[in-house]
Amino acid sequence: MSSDGGMWILLLGPGGATALYWTLYRYYRNTDKSHDFEHETDVVAKPVTGSEQKVDEVNGTRETRISGDNVHQFRKRVQRVHGDSG
Amino acid sequence: MSNANSPPPVPPPTGPGSPQDVPPPPGSFPIDPATLPQPIRDELQAPDPAAIDTAADELKDGLNRCPKCGSTEIRQKPGTDLLICLYCRNEWQGEGVEEAFGLGEGIDQLDGTVIASGARDINADAASLMTFKCPGCGAEVTVNTENAMTARCHWCRHVFGVNEQVPNGAVPDAVLPFHIKKDDAVARIRQFVDKRRLFALKAFKDEFTPENVVAVYLPYMIVDGKVSADVSGHGEIETRRYTKGSGDDKKTYYDADVYQLDRHVDFTVDDLPLESSAQRGNLDARTNTNNIINTIQPFDTKNAVKWNASYLSGVTSEKRDLDVEKLRPRLEDELLSIARAQVEQSVAGFDRGVRWEQEKVSVHGSRWVAMYLPVWLYSYHQPGRNGGMLHYIAVNGRTGETMGSVPVQQWKLLMTALAVGTFLEAIALFIVGHSS
Repeated sequence: MSSDGGMWILLLGPGGATALYWTLYRYYRNTDKSHDFEHETDVVAKPVTGSEQKVDEVNGTRETRISGDNVHQFRKRVQRVHGDSG
Repeated sequence: MSNANSPPPVPPPTGPGSPQDVPPPPGSFPIDPATLPQPIRDELQAPDPAAIDTAADELKDGLNRCPKCGSTEIRQKPGTDLLICLYCRNEWQGEGVEEAFGLGEGIDQLDGTVIASGARDINADAASLMTFKCPGCGAEVTVNTENAMTARCHWCRHVFGVNEQVPNGAVPDAVLPFHIKKDDAVARIRQFVDKRRLFALKAFKDEFTPENVVAVYLPYMIVDGKVSADVSGHGEIETRRYTKGSGDDKKTYYDADVYQLDRHVDFTVDDLPLESSAQRGNLDARTNTNNIINTIQPFDTKNAVKWNASYLSGVTSEKRDLDVEKLRPRLEDELLSIARAQVEQSVAGFDRGVRWEQEKVSVHGSRWVAMYLPVWLYSYHQPGRNGGMLHYIAVNGRTGETMGSVPVQQWKLLMTALAVGTFLEAIALFIVGHSS
């Protein structure tokens, strides 16, 4: 662990090659594109309501984000609670 | 025995580009082009085909017979929504479906499911081949509604179209006429491909003939809805950040408060488009390139006109094969995505992110209208395993927005990536060698 200082830079070659490959592949094939309907559809929303309550603390974690962070992944479905649907 | 098994349900599409992946913002590129070799940079920085805004254009429609002389030689005047009589040169316009049916209004009062007549369920036994008695001479003429909506009587040269709504789902409520002319579409496709030549499949470049682009009307359901949604989960706010150790052993640690969150939002959506053909609705980017056609949305569906088969003369069309109930899960999925996008701003304060765990959508009312939308489609079939891959380049027939899938010459791309990687590795080794 302690001897890896500076050695990560050796990943530059493989990492750069992989990044360039996928970036150009997607540029040609556009496999990651789809209709951005979340933002391109006319949506009229009333103000968002809700509540928040502190339930816990974490101390001394090395993670930079909450585990399972999906705040920007609108299309990743989570557990569905079924309500009245008309 | 033989009818004991029903086919297993088709799993929802997954993978890159499918509805499960949020697309990157338009114009964004993950690598700074300035760091790439000159030829690649030139390609990346060439201009994209421009998309125009046609939202304010006039709305047109008409009868199948010229209202002035009664001729059936009616075409859409290229580049406009006008219909023109090729016999007496009379041009006319009609009413937009938005005004005629009041589709833009009352979305916040929607209750239950409202289905326009063209979006009704498809009769299972309805055939796609339809035979009509020619109103001119009485001969029988067949129209294959799988791919065309007009035909010419071989005997008396009358042109007639499928105007009445038929139970096989081929006649929608509305049609959005083409605005982009063929020359324009060809130029856009050429411009799009010129930006992607360096690593394109050689056979694709050799056979590239954008003049073969075809005009297609594709079937969509345009949905308005009144919805409320609830999401709940956990979010974290950073309270402290500190480092331990020194030198190479330095590590950053975080303290955070964990909150239980819930959010509720009421909203209405206006004109959300859903592919109403099962084949087009499958957006699995590993097996097809339908996501390309999905990407060129949105269309200015507000300008659609009431159905008239004359808009489809000389243009192919695809028949709808999905009913409202089949599309409902897809609608709810997209509504949940919209709800999550709506609440995103309200949880921006949770700087370590939010993990949504439960979500619920209630559709209080929805209104469904079947519509044909105009697409210029260029396709190239790349041979390969499992029947190969059909690559589309699609141009939005209204706005000119262009998107495509250009097949890649794998070895060339791999060699380039390896060469760049080797170069970077040499720099890395140089740095390591000199620092130790």
